[in-house]
Amino acid sequence: MTGRILVLVCVVAAIAGAFKPAIAAKAEHGTHPIYGDKPVPEKWLPPGAGDPDSGPSSVVFPPQKLTIRFNHKKHVKEVGATCFTCHGKAKTSTSAQDVLLPPGTTCDACHDTDHSNKKSVQPGSEDMGKCEFCHLGYRADAPSQVAPLDIPQPNMRFNHKAHLDRNIQCGQCHGSIEHLELATRDQMPRMKGCFGCHNMSGAAQGQAKSACDTCHVSEPDGRIKSMFATGELKPPRWLMNAQHTPDWLERHKRVAADNSALCANCHTERYCTDCHDGKVRPRQVHPNDWISMHPVAARQDNPRCTSCHQEQSFCLTCHQRAGVTMGGPNVSGNKFHPPDWIGTPFTSRGPGHHAWEAQRNLNACVSCHTERDCAICHASTGRGGLSINPHGGSMASQCASQFRRNPRPCLVCHEADSATLATCR
Amino acid sequence: MGSVLSASAFFLTLAGTTVPARAVETEVNSTTAAQSYALSSPWGGLTVKRRRLLQTLALGLYHLEGGDRPGKADISVRLRLRLDADAGISSDETAYNAASDRFVPGLALAPIDLMYAYVEGRNLANGWLGFRLGRQYVTDSLGWWAFDGGLLRVTTPFFAEVELYGGLEERGGLPLSTPRFERNGVWRGDRKGFDDTVYTQFEKASIAPSYGVALQSTGVTWIHGRLDYRKVLNTGNSIVSLLVPDPISGLPVVASGTRTSSERIGYSLDTSAASVGALKGGLVYDLFNTEFSTYYAQADWYAAPWLSLGGEYEYFRPSFDGDSIFNYFAHSPLRTISGRLAVDPTDQITIAASGGIRSFTTDGDPNNFYDATGQKVRGQVSVNDVMTSGAARYHYDTGLFGLRGLSETGDRGHRRGGDLYTEQYFLARRWMALGRVSVYDWKDNTRPDRNATSFGYVVGGGFRPSPVAEAMVEWEHDMNRLVGQRFRILALLNLTVTK
Repeated sequence: MTGRILVLVCVVAAIAGAFKPAIAAKAEHGTHPIYGDKPVPEKWLPPGAGDPDSGPSSVVFPPQKLTIRFNHKKHVKEVGATCFTCHGKAKTSTSAQDVLLPPGTTCDACHDTDHSNKKSVQPGSEDMGKCEFCHLGYRADAPSQVAPLDIPQPNMRFNHKAHLDRNIQCGQCHGSIEHLELATRDQMPRMKGCFGCHNMSGAAQGQAKSACDTCHVSEPDGRIKSMFATGELKPPRWLMNAQHTPDWLERHKRVAADNSALCANCHTERYCTDCHDGKVRPRQVHPNDWISMHPVAARQDNPRCTSCHQEQSFCLTCHQRAGVTMGGPNVSGNKFHPPDWIGTPFTSRGPGHHAWEAQRNLNACVSCHTERDCAICHASTGRGGLSINPHGGSMASQCASQFRRNPRPCLVCHEADSATLATCR
Repeated sequence: MGSVLSASAFFLTLAGTTVPARAVETEVNSTTAAQSYALSSPWGGLTVKRRRLLQTLALGLYHLEGGDRPGKADISVRLRLRLDADAGISSDETAYNAASDRFVPGLALAPIDLMYAYVEGRNLANGWLGFRLGRQYVTDSLGWWAFDGGLLRVTTPFFAEVELYGGLEERGGLPLSTPRFERNGVWRGDRKGFDDTVYTQFEKASIAPSYGVALQSTGVTWIHGRLDYRKVLNTGNSIVSLLVPDPISGLPVVASGTRTSSERIGYSLDTSAASVGALKGGLVYDLFNTEFSTYYAQADWYAAPWLSLGGEYEYFRPSFDGDSIFNYFAHSPLRTISGRLAVDPTDQITIAASGGIRSFTTDGDPNNFYDATGQKVRGQVSVNDVMTSGAARYHYDTGLFGLRGLSETGDRGHRRGGDLYTEQYFLARRWMALGRVSVYDWKDNTRPDRNATSFGYVVGGGFRPSPVAEAMVEWEHDMNRLVGQRFRILALLNLTVTK
């Protein structure tokens, strides 16, 4: 049985071999960065590449379709070519949109070809001069027609000349291409690698700026352009942990509070105001039926409300219109709070008393109540209240400082000449 | 504002005389949002109609120094004006009438505010100087804030930058202003139309001088720190006899003079090591209350290229405007400890989840505050909320699907639920359709009559005929046992012209 299988395998292999192009064995070289399509070691990738590496940004460097076979390693190490033998234009290039690939005529001298007339390219006499030697998918029945290279222009700014003038050589951005056969977009720079030099801010610090528009294309207003046909630019994780993960809505405050200029590289003020001073409810923040649900959310986690809403203008005004406040218009005989919420002054402070909730989450109180509501009980009798002392234990040590900076709140509950206030003067 | 306009005119003149007109980029943008919905009182009686129209108009003039030259001196002008009208507001809500109980102080039918309007210079004096002049936002460790005035930025060669600024805090009740950026606690605004004897707790807005300084690192991409100091002052008269007038004169008792509204110092630090993780930390100390308002520490570990694990501790104690008595009621902080993970299993799928505990500790147990002898028991007691949340997104060339859920459960009740949403783009992203379905359940232990389960959905669509214009319409339908059916319509139109 095993013998029959071996015979079958040999027959299939023989048939396959018969249909294989004559130079196919040679063509395997130069079709991948490393012969056999092995992964490129990290040390040969551009600086900043990870391990494992996911390649350069597909937004900045859109996917390419390479229809040519080329062995950089052979050309550099055996033929003695340098980068500039083929990519000489890089020396004078000031724009990332410049085409730095060599024209076919560059190959003619060694390959015995003639690319001077693209409509009638003349092949060489040897194998390495045949069209199919370099042009993948070349068909002999369609002479002078090769599959086009599809290398979209990068969505960035780059000045090769400026870098070369500072003796920043090709490998410092593109990695060790001399060890590779085919150079793919994996050899394009990683942003992390750029920051190896680009760590300057003001002009006083030199030319390698870290400002985003040093490398990124910008909008008229100075922000970097973030939307492209190839996708949306978003910050990587390693950049201040600002990766826009699904929980970014909760996390962004830490980054923005520390370095709002980082955010402003992509976002306008309007982007912030849409939520933080918004007049249209953002659904990512407040889901459906938020109006019904918001009292529970506000009582659970009120600090979040104040990051976008001013309590007296936003909350109180609407609550007054809806008649859920203690004073003001539209007050009905209905009680918003449970029966034991106030209790009997001086005696009871049991379950359900408002003091607990006020201590825990005073912002929730302030979204409905004005100072007057509290003063009714907590002001001194001289101010018309019931003299119920709300102060915590630390008040005695703080009151002098606070009174000196602003006596107004003290005077709401205490008469100016009261003995209590005298202790704080 | 006069100074802003003068400065704008100056720089416009400068631009017109020193650089070719084609170097200046101009952008005009308008956004329009119309919303219609209604609210009812929890007792069902009163219905508040919202018929809102939001209109903003923005102007940007860029590269007044002569074209887009990264890193070089650049001057620009930006402003945005906003109208926020609500046709659902009735006239007796905005005009005081002693015979009506519908008047709401501070409520306006169609307020207009200048969101921002400033001239900005960057990379001046060979990169050393920058400035902003006019109404502007400040985003820092002390929060998000706006003022009218000037800011000077000095960038040194020593990886440090200093910002100095001063002016007037933007306050509601003043011309072309909103109260959004004031500290909480004081109800103030425009008292025009009613006399001093009514609504004494509604304070007349006065100018609020303010100034601040910030020192931050710059240039280095793996670490950033910022130190902020800001002080805001209250001016003008403020009535302090909210319940009874002065017994002798019979007039309201007034506090006057310049006094502290807020004075705080904050610091934040953000570091990130590319293949290890990130650390963040910060604090805000309230110099008026002589207490920390907040501090936090956050650590993330990049466990794998596709996995991040992290944890955070946060301390928060509310603080209010220095004029407010509410500062005296804030006793103890909220402390939150949480953990998170973020997973990117593929380039198209991202997932994040978090969980934690929010704890409040106070001196006494509400349920056992008095012992058998009637004495107060002041032992420390903690009240905790357990929180979890999760979110996931699957995005592809022509759209995305998202899922988001949360649960918060504690002594006060719970809130649980989630949303499933999608956005789909068609015909080269000219057309867009969106949908959202949500289910939420909540329970309020202090008001069990308000417990409910809600189901809601949103459907909508948008059209972008050109880069100049985009329009969108949304329909929202929510249902729960408290309000029955609730509907909301939203229409948006954005127009942008650049030249």
